[in-house]
Amino acid sequence: MEQRDKLKEWIGAAEVTLLEHGDDATAERFAWLASGLLRRSPDKLWDLLREATREDLDKVPGIEGLLERLAQALIAAGRLGEASDLAQAATRWQLRLGGAVHRQLAQAHLRAGQPVRAEETVRDLLKRDAADADAVRLLYRLLREGGRPAEAHGLLDRLVELDPTAATATFAHRERAKLPEAGGRPVRIALLSSYVIDPLVPFLDAGCRRAGLTPAFYVGPFNQYTQEALNPGSGLYAFAPEIVFVALDLEDLFPAVRGVPSAEELAQGREEICGKIGTLVRELHARSSALIVVHELAPTGRSPHGILDNRRADGLARFVEEVNRDLAQALATQAHTFLLPLREALRRAGGERGQGRKLWYMARMRHGDAALHELARASMRYVKPLKGLTRKCVVVDLDNTLWGGVVGEAGADGIHLGPTAPGVEFVELQEALLNLTKRGILLAVCSKNNPDDVLPVLREHKHMVLREEHFSALRINWRNKAENLAEIAVELNIGLDALVFLDDNPVERELVRQMLPEVLTVEMPKDASQYRATLEDLTDFELLALTREDELRVSQYQANRRRQALEHSSGSLDDYLHSLEIRAEIGRAAAHHVPRLVQMFNKTNQFNTTTRRYQTPDVERFITSPAHQIYVLDVADRFGEHGLVGTAVVREDGEAWVIDNVLLSCRAMGLSVETSLLKHIHDAARARGVARLVGEFAPTKKNAPCADFYQRHGFRHDGDESGSQVWVLDPRVDRVEDPAWITVTVTGAPA
Amino acid sequence: MSSVEEVVCQVFGAEPGSIDAGSSPESVEGWDSMGHLNLLAALEKRFNVSIDIGDVMEMVSVRRIREILLDYGVRG
Repeated sequence: MEQRDKLKEWIGAAEVTLLEHGDDATAERFAWLASGLLRRSPDKLWDLLREATREDLDKVPGIEGLLERLAQALIAAGRLGEASDLAQAATRWQLRLGGAVHRQLAQAHLRAGQPVRAEETVRDLLKRDAADADAVRLLYRLLREGGRPAEAHGLLDRLVELDPTAATATFAHRERAKLPEAGGRPVRIALLSSYVIDPLVPFLDAGCRRAGLTPAFYVGPFNQYTQEALNPGSGLYAFAPEIVFVALDLEDLFPAVRGVPSAEELAQGREEICGKIGTLVRELHARSSALIVVHELAPTGRSPHGILDNRRADGLARFVEEVNRDLAQALATQAHTFLLPLREALRRAGGERGQGRKLWYMARMRHGDAALHELARASMRYVKPLKGLTRKCVVVDLDNTLWGGVVGEAGADGIHLGPTAPGVEFVELQEALLNLTKRGILLAVCSKNNPDDVLPVLREHKHMVLREEHFSALRINWRNKAENLAEIAVELNIGLDALVFLDDNPVERELVRQMLPEVLTVEMPKDASQYRATLEDLTDFELLALTREDELRVSQYQANRRRQALEHSSGSLDDYLHSLEIRAEIGRAAAHHVPRLVQMFNKTNQFNTTTRRYQTPDVERFITSPAHQIYVLDVADRFGEHGLVGTAVVREDGEAWVIDNVLLSCRAMGLSVETSLLKHIHDAARARGVARLVGEFAPTKKNAPCADFYQRHGFRHDGDESGSQVWVLDPRVDRVEDPAWITVTVTGAPA
Repeated sequence: MSSVEEVVCQVFGAEPGSIDAGSSPESVEGWDSMGHLNLLAALEKRFNVSIDIGDVMEMVSVRRIREILLDYGVRG
C-alpha cells in the first residue's frame, strides 16, 4: 500500500514538472497508459490504435517499439487476425516492425494450421528485407512441409548465398538429402587431401546447386591420398569421378618447413614435393579420365627469419614462391590438369588462419568458414567449364551501368565517364568487359533509351572504351527487357542459359529473374565502384583451354552481321548461299585439335546428335584407337573463318560403322556443311565396303535442330535402342550428295 | 529464447522453440562433431569471443554453453 502511495506521489510530481515546462504531457501519459494496456488487454489497445493516422502516432514517443510489443502480445494471446492487421497497418504507416515479429507471427499461423497465411507473412517480410536469413529458413521449412521441393531447393540456394557459413552450408547440404532431387545435370566430384577436407563438401554442394548441377561427392580417407591414387581398386576409382581436387598442405608434405631448414634442405624439399605431386597426377591420369585440380601450397605461420626473410636464400616466402612456380610449370605440361590458386583464395578470405588454427588442433581441418567459401568459389571455376556451363554473352544496361547518370536527361556531355571519379569506375567496368571479349565472350546492349540519345555516345564519346562494334547485338528501345533478352539470344543463336545480365535497376533485374530464370542476372551493388570487382568475381566465364575459335568469336559475329546484310539483299536463299563462297575442309582429328573438340563436346547443345560429353582422355582415345575415327570440319567463307565448327565420331562395330555423335557449332548452322561432313563419312565407309552405316539420335530438350539429320540424308529408321533412335543406310547403294554451294577439301590421308 | 538458443537454432536449422536450456548433441539433429565446430564458429562470431579448446569440449548442452560464456564475461 505504502509503495502504491509512493508511486502516486511520483506521478503527481512528474506531472507538475511537465506542466511547468509548458507541456500538456498527453503523449507521455498515453505512452504510459498504453504499456499498462499492453499487458492487461492488448486487443483493447489495438482497438484504440487501428484507425490512427501516421500523424496521430508520431506524437507517441517510442511508437515503433510500442507497436512491436503490441504485436507480440497479440500473438501470445492468440489474436493472430489482429496481429496480421497490425503488421499490415505498420506498412501503411511506414513504420518498421522488427523481422522477429513477422517471423513469430508466421510461426503462430503455422501452429494454428494456417500455412497459407504463414507463407504470406514471410513473403511480405522478404519483400521488405530480402537479406533476412531467418525468414528464408522459415519459408524453406514451409515449402518443404508443403511438398514443394523445387522451390525449397531454390530457397536453400538463397540461404547459403545470404549466410555463407559452414553451419548454413551444412544445414542446406543435409536438407537436400530429404528433398526429392532437383533434376539438374549430375557431376561427380572427388576430394583427396592430407587434412580433413570434408567441410568443403557443403560449400561445393551449394556452388554446384546454384549452377544447376546435382553433385555427388567422394572424400578420400584422411591422409590416404597416395594409396587412393595408386590402388586401382580404391574407393576413388570405384566412384568414377569427373573431377578430382588434390588438397595437400605444405606442412604435411614437408614438415621441416616448421623449423629453420637450410637452403639445401629447402631445395631438396622443393624437388621432393614436385616429384611427389607429379607422380600422383600421373597415377590419377593413368586410371581415370577425370580433370585433376591440385591446390597451390600455402605457408601457415610467419617466417622464422622475421624481417630478414626476403634477404635470405633460405627465406620462407621465396621458398613458397618457388615451389608453386615449379608446380605450375610441371602441371602446365600435363593435359587436363590445373593448379588452383589457393593463396589468392585465402587472401580473399582475409587470411583467417586464426580460426583455421583451432580447427587444425581440434579436428585436423585447415580452413575456416571464409576460406572454405572462397575455396568453393575458386573450385567452381573448374567445375563449370568442365560441365560446359561457361556463359557466352554479357548483356549490359547503359545508364548507371556502363556510365554514370541518364544520357536522355544529362546529354552525352553530362554523363559520368572519364579519367576522374565519378566516371573512372565506369571506364574500369568497360575495360573489364573488353577483356572478356579477348577470351571469346560476346557483349550486347539492352537499354531503355532513345537510340538517338545513345548512339552518339557509343560512337563518339571520347572516354567510351566499348564502341558499337564491340557489341554483337543492340536492343535500345522501351520494350520489356525480358523480351529483348530473349531476342538477343535468338539473334546470336545461343541459349538463354548462355546470357549474363548486368543492370543497376533492381526492378529490371527482378523482372528478368522472374521471366527468364535461365539468364544469370547479377546482383549489382548500389555502389558503382564495386562494379568491376562484381564482374570479375563471377565464376561463369572460365575456359579449360583458350582455342583459336574463342579468339575468333567476336569478329565472327561481326562478320555474321555482314552475312545477314547480304542475305537480305540476295534474291533467294540459294543465291545467298552461293554468294557466300563457302569452303569446307574435312580431315581426321589430330592431337592439336583436342582442346577445341573437348570444348565442343561439352558446350554444344543444339546440333549434337547424342550429347555424349567427352573429355580430353576420351578424345585422345578416339584419335589413337584403331576402332574409332574422329573427323574435324573447318569452315570459311568470303567474310572470314568460322574455324573448327564440326566433328563426328565413328565407331567400327563388326561389319557396321556407327556414327556415335555428330556436332555442329551453332555459328555454322544453316549452311549445310554438316551434309559435307556426312558425305565424307559415307564415302569413307563405301570405300571400305561397309554395308551398314548407322546413325544414332538421342533426343534432348535442346537438340531439336538436328532431329531430322539422318532422315533428310536418306537414312531409314531402324527402331530404338536405350533411348536412342537408330537410323541406317547402305553406303554401297545409297548416296549422300555435297551441296552445290560448298567447295570441299579433304586433308590428310583418306580414311 | 536466449541468444545461445537462437544461435543453436540457426546453426542446426532447428524449429524455433524446439531448443531449450537442456538441448544437447543427443537431442538436436546435426549436432555431431562437425556440427559442434560450426556451432563454435557461430558462437565466437555472435559473442565476439575466442573459446579455449578445453571449454569447447565442455559445451555439452545449451545450459553449459551459457555457463561457459559467463566465464568469458558474456551473457548468452
